[in-house]
Amino acid sequence: MRLLRQTRLLLVAELRQELRSLEVVISSAFFAVVMLALFALSLGALSPSAQLSAIPGALWLSVAFVGALTLTRVFDRERESDTLRALLIAPVDRLAIYLAKAALALLVVLISTLVLVPGLCVIFPAAAPIVERPLLSAAMVVLGCVGYVAVGTLFAAGLAQGGGKNVLLSLILHPLTTPVLMFNLVATRALLERHPGTGEYLGRMAALDVLLLAVAAWLFEPVLVGGAPRRAPGDDARIAAARARARGGRP
Amino acid sequence: MKRALPYVLLVAAAAIYPYAVARVFLDTPIERQMGTAFKIFFFHVPMGWLCMLMALICGVAAAVELRRRSQTAAAVALAAAELGFVCGLGVLLTGPIWGNATWGKPWTGDARQVSTALLWLVIAAYLVVRHYGPSSNRRLAAALAIFGAIDVPVIYQAVKWWKTQHPTTEVVGSLPPALWASLWPALGAIALTVFGLLGIRIRQLLLADALDEGWARQSDLAAAKEVRHE
Repeated sequence: MRLLRQTRLLLVAELRQELRSLEVVISSAFFAVVMLALFALSLGALSPSAQLSAIPGALWLSVAFVGALTLTRVFDRERESDTLRALLIAPVDRLAIYLAKAALALLVVLISTLVLVPGLCVIFPAAAPIVERPLLSAAMVVLGCVGYVAVGTLFAAGLAQGGGKNVLLSLILHPLTTPVLMFNLVATRALLERHPGTGEYLGRMAALDVLLLAVAAWLFEPVLVGGAPRRAPGDDARIAAARARARGGRP
Repeated sequence: MKRALPYVLLVAAAAIYPYAVARVFLDTPIERQMGTAFKIFFFHVPMGWLCMLMALICGVAAAVELRRRSQTAAAVALAAAELGFVCGLGVLLTGPIWGNATWGKPWTGDARQVSTALLWLVIAAYLVVRHYGPSSNRRLAAALAIFGAIDVPVIYQAVKWWKTQHPTTEVVGSLPPALWASLWPALGAIALTVFGLLGIRIRQLLLADALDEGWARQSDLAAAKEVRHE
């Protein structure tokens, strides 16, 4: 209960901050529109059978790019004012920080899919089964986004806290989120082909989401705070300073 | 003895290589369906197994590094990732040559091809973060290695549902004794080389860490002396 209360409080704070400017929501939704325009220009003239192969790729590649942008922006705020450190010092469960950040990122990505999915249905007539089975489609999109955000939040937080470069996020995120994207591709293809086993694919997506959420939640604290240090704190900085002095410059 | 072990492994590998190559190319019968291209199997399969083993070692060592911040575990994880990268590259180069001769095209998007390529990408991402990220990103790289080790079977299963035409694992299990007799020396030679190099690289990384710490300590002493003189 305490964890849920802390998560809710942190999420409300995040949402209040986002509602002041709507910066992350608007930039992600606009990026989704740009992706749609690019897909319309490059793949709009495909035959209906080719569209069946193109739609899952177009949907989940867009989600991957929008997700990377969202996660970068969500943690940029923390990076700019170094507030993630303050959050980690605060008497809050670290898991609550992870869950609140992941929930915010999930919400923003889902808002972007509200632009993406109808847009793809307009561009590609073969996407009609998505409209015909709205509940199944919505479940598929939500499950697909949960897995992506579960992995992404961990690594975006790690990069924001360590002063890492933003470019590294895409480099880490895309190879690691491939299993989620593969599962999503298989389920979307099944949905478009009106496969009777689509529900089973959604079950597999849910199982993968649970696995990824559990591993990411377990790793969040060790990645951000670390275990018992063998080197004293600040040793890495001392080594860097010693190297700079040895080269004759100022550290 | 502990320090000499990697070199002993390398010497043993050097002794086995000529025998392994002679066995594969001179004593092993040519496979009826795949022809001479099948000989790649004796190098491709051991490298594939070792690549997966190195990824597993890297994931386990990264988990230990993350929980205990052990420098030895960090060195093992990095060395295993580097060797996994090299073995993976070997698999990805020999696989398409074999595939082109057998299936008529080098890349078919098959389950094992895609999962091996993605495993290699995860190892490459780990190396980029370890070498080019700031020092605090070591923990992040460790998490990446753990996720990478978990991802591989999941990716494999996902692509298998999508499509597969790669030989199943039963193919290796049902090999006739003559082919097994050729596979063992090749596997032994490559495994000894990889483990020998792993031992040398781990020692090298630990020495580099010790040197860095000594350097920092000496530099701190020199700086303290300067302050005292002023």
